[in-house]
Amino acid sequence: LAELLDLCTSAQLSFVHQFVSPLLKKDPFTTLPDELCLRILSFIDDPKVLARASQVSRRWRDLLSDDMTWKNLCVKHDYQRSLSEVQPALDVPSESKPEASSQPGDASGSALLTSTSLPATFAASTASRPAPRSYKSHFKQRYLVDAAWRSGGRNVTRNITQDGGVVTSLHLTPKYIVVALDNAKIHVFDTEGNALRTLQGHVMGVWAMVPWDDILVSGGCDRDVRVWDLSTGACLHTLRGHTSTVRCLKMSDANTAISGSRDTTLRIWDIKAGVCKNVLVGHQASVRCLEIKGDIVVSGSYDATAKVWSISEGRCLHTLQGHYSHIYAIAFDGQRVATGSLDTSVRIWNVHTGECQAILQGHTSLVGQLQMRGGTLVTGGSDGSVRVWSLERACAIHRLAAHDNSVTSLQFDDTRVVSGGSDGRVKIWDLKTGQLVRELVTQGEAVWRVAFEDEKCVAMALKNGRTVMEVWSFSPPQELL
Amino acid sequence: MATDKSTQRVHLQSNEGMVIEVDRVVAERSMLIKNLIEDLGDEAIENQAIPIPNVNDPVLRKVVEWCEHHRNDAQTTADDDNDNRKKTTDIDEWDQKFMQVDQEMLFEIILAANYLDIKALLDVGCKTVANMIKGKSPEEIRKTFNITNDFTPEEEEQIRRENEWAEDR
Repeated sequence: LAELLDLCTSAQLSFVHQFVSPLLKKDPFTTLPDELCLRILSFIDDPKVLARASQVSRRWRDLLSDDMTWKNLCVKHDYQRSLSEVQPALDVPSESKPEASSQPGDASGSALLTSTSLPATFAASTASRPAPRSYKSHFKQRYLVDAAWRSGGRNVTRNITQDGGVVTSLHLTPKYIVVALDNAKIHVFDTEGNALRTLQGHVMGVWAMVPWDDILVSGGCDRDVRVWDLSTGACLHTLRGHTSTVRCLKMSDANTAISGSRDTTLRIWDIKAGVCKNVLVGHQASVRCLEIKGDIVVSGSYDATAKVWSISEGRCLHTLQGHYSHIYAIAFDGQRVATGSLDTSVRIWNVHTGECQAILQGHTSLVGQLQMRGGTLVTGGSDGSVRVWSLERACAIHRLAAHDNSVTSLQFDDTRVVSGGSDGRVKIWDLKTGQLVRELVTQGEAVWRVAFEDEKCVAMALKNGRTVMEVWSFSPPQELL
Repeated sequence: MATDKSTQRVHLQSNEGMVIEVDRVVAERSMLIKNLIEDLGDEAIENQAIPIPNVNDPVLRKVVEWCEHHRNDAQTTADDDNDNRKKTTDIDEWDQKFMQVDQEMLFEIILAANYLDIKALLDVGCKTVANMIKGKSPEEIRKTFNITNDFTPEEEEQIRRENEWAEDR
């Protein structure tokens, strides 16, 4: 045969080649057993390749509909977090999970979410479509959402005021978007950003609020704490007692709100009965921030200390001393307290002993934003930088030169950090790599607040002298699912 | 009498009767053979070839060549295996050259590696095939493996639409 080929011209050889080469080719997926075919597919982590491969032939399509391949892909892409959806639906009544509402202004309540539970917000945002039936459809949904976060999404912009009122708080709940301003008004929108009602009653700026299902508790310069019914707009109670501006508010259960004030005290309110149950006295200056977990409330003050209080006993358990200046931000996961201060440092404390476990240094100005989630802490400062810290190693993982000016707002989840700055920009960062993923809003003069959930991001900004709300949706279009 | 493992030779016999003599450590890249030797005992393999009934001459030669080259690699544990599998489809240069064979041989090597339980070789083989699939359109994949498109035009259009989501948009 070799001698025969030797006699051939190159044209003849080329003919032989054309004739022979397909004979040397073989379909691996008909040659190999399923188990080995799937092993081959397990080395492919680009869904585009898999999607194209499934269009080759019937055999290939059948193989590629094997859910193990897509399950592997979910694992590789870190989409396990909501795998509970794929298994029999995990029933999380939204009533039991109001902490899921985002509170990016302060250390967020979303830090309370465990990695296995399904955030109520996510359930809400996906409630309108059927639960995925397979890992493939689950992967597809998550992939499309991720792709939209990277370079897609739809947004609507709404004017909130004709003048430039300062947005003091923004909350996303499964039912509402709630916005408070320094002009005494609280605006309530549905989750799409359509105006529902305006809560009027406060006399001056509203500086703190906290939603709980259909209840909203708010406080501000007029020293009153008000309890509202979000579904009707009615003011249920006006709670009096503070003698100066209410600066922070959180709820520990459906009946109990705790407020911190410039009058140096915290007050524990029964919002059903409309009475003050206790006054926590001890701080020497304005109470700027607080966080609740179980029966413990921790408060940060301009007196440079943080205090750990028992809610039921109404007494101070520990005073966390060490900062040299005002505390502006606090986060608490039940074990650790993180505080951010005007002295530019962040301290980590053991809530049980009151000991300072770590001092995180690096910011060059006030640390006004922080959120703790799992073993990760993310902080934002007036120096414009955002830092991602490992709590285990007590060191910075990423130092992001995020904004030209102050970081006014930040929030993070397992995947991303979203930061807003007084430079008018909203930036999305990859939590793991620290890379900038994209800038979200068309730049305005300032961003007051940002908040996000799995498929949605809301930013409150000052643009052309007006306060506007941008609502971004990253849900895949229905026709793609 | 305990035999010195490092110098011991093992005989492997293909399904066509050919016998290859290799160092025991080389043969033990195969978990199947390793377990077999442990079960049979050192003496049993002294004078007796181990039959490899599913593997023909050329494939057995290729597999032995691979095992010789990788004789000193650390044995993969279950954990390593998981880590490796998460990694990309990077294949080292020698292995890439080694895998430059016709598709028939490639698939035979994969089958042999699977049968002989040589995880690392199996993965190199699977990665090689995965790399042949990557970056290709369905038609290019068909050409690569000489596959007949057995979809009706309607089916083809439907499955194209079903998979459109994964294309870059």
